[in-house]
Amino acid sequence: MITQEKYRTTVKELLASDSVKMVIGYKPGSTPDRRRPLFIRSSDDADQLVLDSTCITNLSGYLVAEGLLSDEKRVGIFLRPEGIRSINILAAEYQLNMDQIVIFGFDSTGREVRPLEGRHSKDFSALLSDIKENSPQISKEPLLESIERMNEQERFDFWQEEFSRCIKCYACRQACPMCYCRRCIVDSNQPQWVNTSSHTLGNFEWNVVRAFHLSGRCVQCGNCDRACPVNIPLRLINQRMAEMVLEGFDHFAGLSPTQEPVLASFKKDDTETFIL
Amino acid sequence: MTRILLSDKLDNCVERWRSAGMTVIGPVQGESISRYAVVENGAGFDFGMILPDRSVKELFFPQTEPMLRYTIKKSEIDTADFPPPQEKRIIFGARACDASGLAIDDSLFGWDYKDDFWFHRRNESVIVTIACTKADDFCMCTSLDLAPDSTKGCDVLLRPLENNRGWQVEEITDRGREAFAVIADLLQESSDQAAPTAVVTEKFNLDACVTWLQNPENFDSKFWKEISMRCIGCASCTYLCPTCHCFDIQDEGDTYSGIRRKNWDSCSFALFTMHTSGHNPRSTQSARWRQRIMHKFNYFPGKFSVNSCSGCGRCSRQCPVDMGITETLQEISKLQS
Amino acid sequence: MTENIQNTQPNIYKPAITKIVARHDEAPGVRTLKLEFQNPADQEEFKKTFRTGMFGLYGVYGEGESTFCVASPETRKDYIECTFRQSGRVTSALANADIGDLITFRGPYGNRFPIEEFYGKNLLFISGGIALPPTRSVIWSCLDQREKFGKVTIVYGARTVADLVYKHELEEWQQREDVELVLTVDPGGESPDWKHKVGFVPTVLEEAAPSPDNCIAVICGPPIMIKFTLISLKKLGFDEKNVYTTLENRMKCGVGKCGRCNVGSIYVCKEGPVFTAAEVSRMPAADL
Repeated sequence: MITQEKYRTTVKELLASDSVKMVIGYKPGSTPDRRRPLFIRSSDDADQLVLDSTCITNLSGYLVAEGLLSDEKRVGIFLRPEGIRSINILAAEYQLNMDQIVIFGFDSTGREVRPLEGRHSKDFSALLSDIKENSPQISKEPLLESIERMNEQERFDFWQEEFSRCIKCYACRQACPMCYCRRCIVDSNQPQWVNTSSHTLGNFEWNVVRAFHLSGRCVQCGNCDRACPVNIPLRLINQRMAEMVLEGFDHFAGLSPTQEPVLASFKKDDTETFIL
Repeated sequence: MTRILLSDKLDNCVERWRSAGMTVIGPVQGESISRYAVVENGAGFDFGMILPDRSVKELFFPQTEPMLRYTIKKSEIDTADFPPPQEKRIIFGARACDASGLAIDDSLFGWDYKDDFWFHRRNESVIVTIACTKADDFCMCTSLDLAPDSTKGCDVLLRPLENNRGWQVEEITDRGREAFAVIADLLQESSDQAAPTAVVTEKFNLDACVTWLQNPENFDSKFWKEISMRCIGCASCTYLCPTCHCFDIQDEGDTYSGIRRKNWDSCSFALFTMHTSGHNPRSTQSARWRQRIMHKFNYFPGKFSVNSCSGCGRCSRQCPVDMGITETLQEISKLQS
Repeated sequence: MTENIQNTQPNIYKPAITKIVARHDEAPGVRTLKLEFQNPADQEEFKKTFRTGMFGLYGVYGEGESTFCVASPETRKDYIECTFRQSGRVTSALANADIGDLITFRGPYGNRFPIEEFYGKNLLFISGGIALPPTRSVIWSCLDQREKFGKVTIVYGARTVADLVYKHELEEWQQREDVELVLTVDPGGESPDWKHKVGFVPTVLEEAAPSPDNCIAVICGPPIMIKFTLISLKKLGFDEKNVYTTLENRMKCGVGKCGRCNVGSIYVCKEGPVFTAAEVSRMPAADL
């Protein structure tokens, strides 16, 4: 509650002084346990803001939607550490200019919300480095552990079963801050790289292609997993990919706005003997 | 005295219907989601849920469906039909909103050109609706002139008994009577009372909304931009919707042989209306959300005299950003009043 | 109620097979194909149903179907001509098809230009760029029974001289004494030997100032041209009810099911593609 009040005051000040043109945050949703994204342009509306442990959605994708930042004005946004990592990647991939972004950082343990000190992405670099250092110690979800124990065939069968429910609504893509492509590969038809039909093969192709495109970029905010209307455990794929990228390349996505994309950069001392 | 079916006779019913050559389908709670799926005995049904996550639409209009098979030879092209499945089905335990959704889409699929993929399945399926005795915050059938015990689109209506041991049986159509004739001797006369149907509060004033939507001035209202700011443009609302019927046609195969398919498609996607020239009549998400609402509550009823919404609430229930028809129409109700 | 549903039809998405009997390059990237039905029953059906203004879905199996008008007139129904710009997956495949190759056709679909209602009237055809094909179908449908109509004026413009389609027919119309042809290209699109107008279609139209008296106007063109031409026609005194145009929304099914051509309460594939300007003005402009 204290955090929320503090932030409401700050948001009011920044909007009133025209330091930001908009603040993206959360407001109450249609049921008590839901929060929905909120776009505030006037300090009068700042009281609609809520901030509590149920504010989960990573809002950073809105920054790159429909030309929001094209006027070079500043926008404030409420972000958890994963969200800060997302905008670091977006900046590293030249999708946004970090100087336009005012961060209202927060995190929660249990039901308690605490603010994160800082307004600019660089203020959070120590925090993000800590998270990176601690990440190997975070215990895995039992389901992921059980998948890792499976042999290849069992694992294939598991995912085939999960993907069989996919309806290709692309909620995972649309909810993902990293899926900002103007034209997604599944929407390209010359040539038709990915089958558009939502049958087993098409579903497999889509979900695997997306996993590859996210490796080294996913911050595991969970937007895709929560957005999926048929409850495919997409987080597991992304967790595994992130783990592999960390092990193989010591790459933790979104550490800074200048971090090189792991699968699009080359190191001379790379131990691999080939370049794809 | 009314005729009732006791739950403990369900096994027998399923067996009778199966031996009469019918596939029995009902609400099934899977590990991850619930949907209407094939059941083999009475224990396969899950009647406890408010409604399945996925609508009954997919049994009539699957997410992907082969329409024809082509083979290209030297100086000849063969096109072979892919007839819809020939099985007879009984869908036992449909929700009234889902059954209504089918009736709503009949008008579209039967408009002049009749889509046999839809109607063949419709003609071969018996819909047994079980009236709802509970609802959640998202249910809104009553706001759309429907009810938890609507008989629209259903062949037999069952009302759960107050003592929870079965259902009162109301046969609505000949097709329903025919299907229940197979189990006639398993029914019995009883004075057991039906449980009250769920109380679904009215969420918005539909008449006011329609008036507002029909006013051409409101087409360009800034309301559309505001209400849809957070829409991320996925298709989960349209794909879970029991009445959204848009589709794409896609070929899969090579120059020699392959299959032409009908795949779900959605007005939420930017590409849906994009011309080859690059011109897009609905180039913003707000224009696309406006189209969805206009289509359901203004254009469709204008053409087919029925709203293209049966009030199931799935759009709002499943929306990744907590949007949906309910919120939009609630806001429009306020604007009109 | 479900029991009332009867008379299901066979697969309405099944196309007819046609053979390419001729092809012609109209302009850079623009090609005309002349098609003949392989199955006499399909030919008969086409003859029975086709009227000018209707469209079809032309397809190459493995690539898909693409929608464009039937460019040949209703007075010549032994074949189908279609003209398209190679731009997407399907049109590329169609452009690559050779004489003798088989392609698919579904249709004809949609409504038509009610040309009987034009009898005894003057006709003004206005068209831009690759949108001459639908106009051309009406033009020939009228010229093939020339005595039934009054004065015929054709205003046609393209970006450049090279982009003008049906050049041989433009020549023919130019020669005819019973047709007045006004040709124009956008400023900068003229060639050194260009003898006709230079300017945008609406401007050239206003200069030509055809009389609205007893006159029917038919306009086809890109959305932006239609928008400005409608304004010019209004200035010239044309009644919206006497102005016809075609809408060419993206389509997949052609039979009012797939939903994508819906604009306002209209399904362009079934209630269109031909509309009067009065009808168009009742549609939500932003969605066109």
